[in-house]
Amino acid sequence: MSSSNLRDLQRELENKANDLSKLQKEIAKNHQMRKKYTIQLGENELVLKELDLLKEDANVYKLIGPVLVKQDLAEANANVRKRIEYISAELKRLDATVQDLEEKQNSKKDTILKLQQRIQSLQSGKGKA
Amino acid sequence: MEESVKKGTVTSLASLFPVEEAQKAAKRVEDAIADNRGELDRVRGFIADNNNLVNLVHKLPEELSHDIMVPFGKAAFFPGRLIHTNEFLVLLGEGYYAERTSKQTVEILQRRGKSMDSQVDSLEANIKDLEAEASFFNATASQVAEGLVEIREDYVEEDSIEGESESGKLQQDAPHLGNATPNDGEYERMLAIMDELEKEELAAESGNQSDENDESTGDDDEMSYQGHIDNNLQNSKDFRQSAPLGQTNDKIKRAELPEKQHRKEDITDQLNFASLGVQSTVREREKLVESIYPIEKIPFGSKEKPAQSTITSKTEDPHQTSQRSFDSRKAFPGSIIEHAENIERSSREQSSASSQGSGSQSSKPVSRFKMQRR
Repeated sequence: MSSSNLRDLQRELENKANDLSKLQKEIAKNHQMRKKYTIQLGENELVLKELDLLKEDANVYKLIGPVLVKQDLAEANANVRKRIEYISAELKRLDATVQDLEEKQNSKKDTILKLQQRIQSLQSGKGKA
Repeated sequence: MEESVKKGTVTSLASLFPVEEAQKAAKRVEDAIADNRGELDRVRGFIADNNNLVNLVHKLPEELSHDIMVPFGKAAFFPGRLIHTNEFLVLLGEGYYAERTSKQTVEILQRRGKSMDSQVDSLEANIKDLEAEASFFNATASQVAEGLVEIREDYVEEDSIEGESESGKLQQDAPHLGNATPNDGEYERMLAIMDELEKEELAAESGNQSDENDESTGDDDEMSYQGHIDNNLQNSKDFRQSAPLGQTNDKIKRAELPEKQHRKEDITDQLNFASLGVQSTVREREKLVESIYPIEKIPFGSKEKPAQSTITSKTEDPHQTSQRSFDSRKAFPGSIIEHAENIERSSREQSSASSQGSGSQSSKPVSRFKMQRR
């Protein structure tokens, strides 16, 4: 009776542990994405600064695939700004997801801990019996 | 140290931080340091590259054209010529290129160099922080390994009453001191500084001992300045027992308490003691006061009485008072002996020191006391 109970609990624990590791992987992925976006943001800000320093008649090119396409300075400027906005929004979104995932992870950890305790108490009970 | 066991709790540091845990933490921090170092090296490499590029860009427009070997594919080169040596297409990042002259390019590159420099700075600061952390963890680990214990004591309120009686006793010493002390104007000045220091100290120590300090300040106002100083002296003896043994003058004392002492170095010796007294750490004082209590209490009931006695004795017969104060001071070690470990030695030192002690060398008794308290 108690042995089947114990087996159930152990299976549950296993499932939860799998869920937890999945969550952790996701969090790690998110962190990596976040890092990437942060770097991109920095780069874009640098570009914007340089573009601001250029005179209006300067020739600006954008590398698209294998070709350099000539671009208007104003256009390039607007594009970079838009890109920065987009990246900032993306960063915010990632922050929110990471926080969400971390909360989930914590609750999962709690449940796993509880499960472990239950299993332990069951085992010790069995040992006495 | 032994007396603390009586009223405090002793926890082995090992129970709080197991050795392995501390070492693990230290290791983790060291790994982080290594990561940061790697990053730092990488950025430094970038900076070197950048500097080389700046030099090259500087040099290129010096000639109208350069004979070069043009890379062709991965393995081949063919001879060629660089022309338009003052036209650069600079990658700004994110796929954007700008046509620039050599000079403008150098400017861009220098801006980049600056941002990299700031990165290096922040990395270095980071590494420093981490190193401090690592050394802390290592210290903890070694302390744990040595079996260090943490001793905690509660601050007991009765302190303040005893503190009063203590100060009363101290006043007795005053004339003895006062003979050699300078004129009143200087005292006033010192008093002002002391008050300031007291305030500082109060703020710093979260008002733990505010009662006591306030009282002593009040005393000072009513009493002779000598009394005040001596009082403070005594306090400093009491409170600063943590000072190492063997030093008999206040200069050394100053050195041993560097942190707290720094700001007062320019003040006179007496002042030094006074400020020390004010700075007293609660814990030390607690023990001390306890031990001193009996002696002081017996001669004088309240703080008012001692004050009077001080004044009268001063005017009447300084010598006599000094004699008396001597006795009472000598009584000190006796009461303390029950606690201190190495009193034997220190009290011997003390007696020899006190025999040579003159009024002006009031500092000596203090440090002697400290030694003996150790």
